Parts: sequence; structure tokens; C-alpha cells
Amino acid sequence: MLITINWDSMPYMFAVAGVGFLTVFFVLVLMIGIMKVMGYFFTHQRKVKSVAPTGEVEYEEHAISDNEIVAAIIVALKMYKSDLHDRESEMLTINRITRAYSPWNSKIHGLTQLPKHK
Amino acid sequence: MISFLETSIVDSLVNFANDAGVVQFFADGGYKALIMICLACFLLYLAIKKQYEPLLLLPIAFGMLLTNLPGAGMFHSEFFVGGHVNWGEFAEGNFGLLDVLYLGVKLGVYPCLIFIGVGAMTDFGPLIANPKSFMLGAAAQLGIFATFIGAYFLGFELNECGSIGIIGGADGPTSIFLTAKLAPELLGPIAIAAYSYMALVPVIQPPIMRALTTQKERMIKMSQLRQVSKKEKIIFPIVLAVIISLLLPSAAPLVGCLMLGNLMKECGVVDRLSKTVQNELMNIVVIFLGISVGATAVAENFLNEKTIFILVLGILAFSLGSAGGVLLAKFMNLFAKEGNKINPLIGSAGVSAVPMAARVSQTEGQKACPSNFLLMHAMGPNVAGVVGSAVAAGVLLAFLG
Repeated sequence: MLITINWDSMPYMFAVAGVGFLTVFFVLVLMIGIMKVMGYFFTHQRKVKSVAPTGEVEYEEHAISDNEIVAAIIVALKMYKSDLHDRESEMLTINRITRAYSPWNSKIHGLTQLPKHK
Repeated sequence: MISFLETSIVDSLVNFANDAGVVQFFADGGYKALIMICLACFLLYLAIKKQYEPLLLLPIAFGMLLTNLPGAGMFHSEFFVGGHVNWGEFAEGNFGLLDVLYLGVKLGVYPCLIFIGVGAMTDFGPLIANPKSFMLGAAAQLGIFATFIGAYFLGFELNECGSIGIIGGADGPTSIFLTAKLAPELLGPIAIAAYSYMALVPVIQPPIMRALTTQKERMIKMSQLRQVSKKEKIIFPIVLAVIISLLLPSAAPLVGCLMLGNLMKECGVVDRLSKTVQNELMNIVVIFLGISVGATAVAENFLNEKTIFILVLGILAFSLGSAGGVLLAKFMNLFAKEGNKINPLIGSAGVSAVPMAARVSQTEGQKACPSNFLLMHAMGPNVAGVVGSAVAAGVLLAFLG
């Protein structure tokens, strides 16, 4: 059955292959353009937000990367939280608590009575 | 009277014996079913022992086993002759379990449902951060169209060429979706070729990657990807689904479902749905898809020279796709500034096979330079490949469907 080629449809086959591959490329290249515009819009928006409201501080592009800012904030938060941590007095004490006797808190009644060997 | 009874009992026993599947192995052409059962057992071995894509190969192999059991009547390929569902046969109630499950493949339901799950499990962040990855994803579709031409010269019909070519997309659901529409009689061999080669990506790709790159190129370190905001991740699937569906309506079912799943994941307000499509729905559909695709591998459709050609063309498609991505990355480097260069190893990840192909790029990159981390960079072309193969399937369907 195979290796009997229908030569009549050969031009159509090449057209499908060529146009098909170019269409895939075109669609995906178009997506690159759209994603670049979208990326520019979002990164630009982020930069605008980082400028002070008075507008006096100018944003220096690429002066400090986002990651460095994030790292600095994390370290600052860590130091701040460390200061808030409770400092124990580091003194161990034994508090004597006196309770009024009751059969409910009696130790001897709380234990299982085991039979004694005689 | 006694003699009549004896004759009747003997006849009944003979009829009973003739109906047994074992006897049918010795009937005309029955040995083919036996060969298919042995083949199914071999695939089960590969799935269980070698763990080659076991989630799909196991149900496919078992479906193949069931459909080739003589006399079981679980699947009737004649119900789907001519590329159409013969609903009359279903109405008469003569259908088997696998006939009903196969309807999901034939009507293109299962691949789309799987794509929702795939979308919900995919992070498009690396692709959004580096949109150039789309180019590599597109270049890796070279395998599809080159194999399309190759299949034509081996004497396949145009619609069959399209189905065989799509193996190069390295995307199982897309291959099944397109083949069910264009050449359903080839579904068994094409699905098996697609999933087997996807499992063999770590074996097929590295020699091609090494042959096409120099040590210096493999050592290229890529700059860190930018952060992608949640808003971008939410807008991306909506924009992509709308644009691709407007340009190529035939790709809308696959791309739309992929993007729906991704939107469920990224929006963060439908966690329950996202988890369901990633787990329960995906698993159920995979079982149905696997069994019913395996069921199409009946002896008369499978044991012929076409299957051998499909297996050969499939590996060719994979190799050409991988090479296409690597070569385009090298070409892009000719125009890229120093420090902005692309490591060509990530080009091969454009053949989908998520995330296996990206892992191969990472492994090869680390072999060249242990401090090189290419995984996230390779994920960009990798997910672009999923979109690219869905677009290619849409193009082929538009031309040949």
C-alpha cells in the first residue's frame, strides 16, 4: 500500500507544510509582541508606584535591583521582630502552691490501687 | 430418545467450545490477536517495571489487551468506520464498554478535559518573564511539519500525514485530539508512539543537543528572570485564549481549555476547582482516555507496515523538533548582546513534554557547567511548546479536517 505517492496533491502538501509552519510562527511571534507590551506596562507601573508621592525623589533605573530591596526589607523585618521577642529572665524558680485538700485532687485517690502480694 | 439427547448435548458442548476465546486464536487470522496480547503485555512490562509514562501507558496497554481478547466484544471499530460515530449501532444496544468510553476520544472531549488539568498545573511565569521563549516553542514545531512532508513521501494520505506529524509536538492529548479527527484508524499506533517517545526524551534529546552545540555555548549562563506579578499571570491566559481563538478557531478547544485551567490556578479564588481539575478530573479522564485509546489498537489496524513507519517517523519528528529549537536559539544568539545570550540547550525544551524536556536541558547544562541553572529558563520554551503544538494542531485541522 505504501510508497505509492499521489503526486497530484504534492503542491497542496507543500503549501500546507509551509503555510502551517509560518502560521505557527506568526501566531507565537504575535504573542511575543503582546507579552512585551504587557510586560512593559506592568514593569513601568511598578516603577511609577515606587516614586515618592511628592515626585521629588527620582527613580534611578537599575541602581538597585528588586531582589536587593526585598533582601533589605527581609533583614530589617527580621531585626525588628527579633527585638520584639520576649526575653526570659533565665531564672528557674519553684513556686510553692498551697491548695485546700479535696478528694478530687488527692494524689492517693488518683492512683490505681494494685493488689498487694502477701 | 437417548440418542437425540446425546446429540443435543454434544452439539451444545461443541458450540460452547467454539465460542471460547482460546479456540478463536486458532481460527483464520487468530494468531494476530495473540501477537497483540503479547505486545500489550510487553507495554505493561514497560509501564510497570521500567515506569515509561506509567500513568498513561498502563491503561493504554490494558485497553489493548482487552480489545484483542477474541469473543469479548468490548470494542467494535465498525461503529466508528468512516470517521463518524454510527449512532444507529449504539441505539440497537450492541455496544461494549470500550465503545462507550471511546466516544469521549472520538468527540474530542477527553483531550480538552486533560488540557484543563494541564493548564492548572502549568506555571506560565517563565514564559511571561521571557516572551522570546515563544520563538523557541515555535521553532520546535519544525518536527511536526518536516515529518508531515516525510510521511507524504512514504505514501500516507494527507490527513494521515498530519496525524503522524503531530507526534513531533510531544504532546499526548494534542496528538490524540488531532488523530481522532483526521485519521482515527491510526489512533493506537500514534498514541503509543507519542507516549513512548515522550518517556524516552532523556534518551533521545541529549545526543542531539550535544551534537548541535559547542562546549562554550552549553556553558552560557542566562540572566535571572524578572518577577511576574499576579495580575500579569491572570491576564495572560485570558489574552492568549482570546487572540489564538480569534486567529485560529480550530485551536480554540485545546488552547481555551489549557488557559481555563491556568486561570483557575492563577486567580486564586477557585482553589477547589483548581485542585479538582489537577487531580480527580485529570485522573478519571486519563483512565478513560488510556483504556479507549488502547482499545483502538486492534490487530487488523495495528499489525501492518503503517505502524512501523509511524514509529520511525515519530522518532524523526521528535529529533527534528529538538534540533529546530536548539538551532533557532543559536541563530538568535548571533543578534543578541553579550550578557543577553541564550543557552541553546533550552531550545530543545520547546517540544512540550512538560517538564521532562526542561529537566533534560537543566541536566545537560549542569554537565557543561555545574553552577549553571537552566531549569526555569527552559520552562519558558517548554510551556511555549504546549501552546505551539496546540496551534499547530489547529492549523493542520483547519487545512486537512
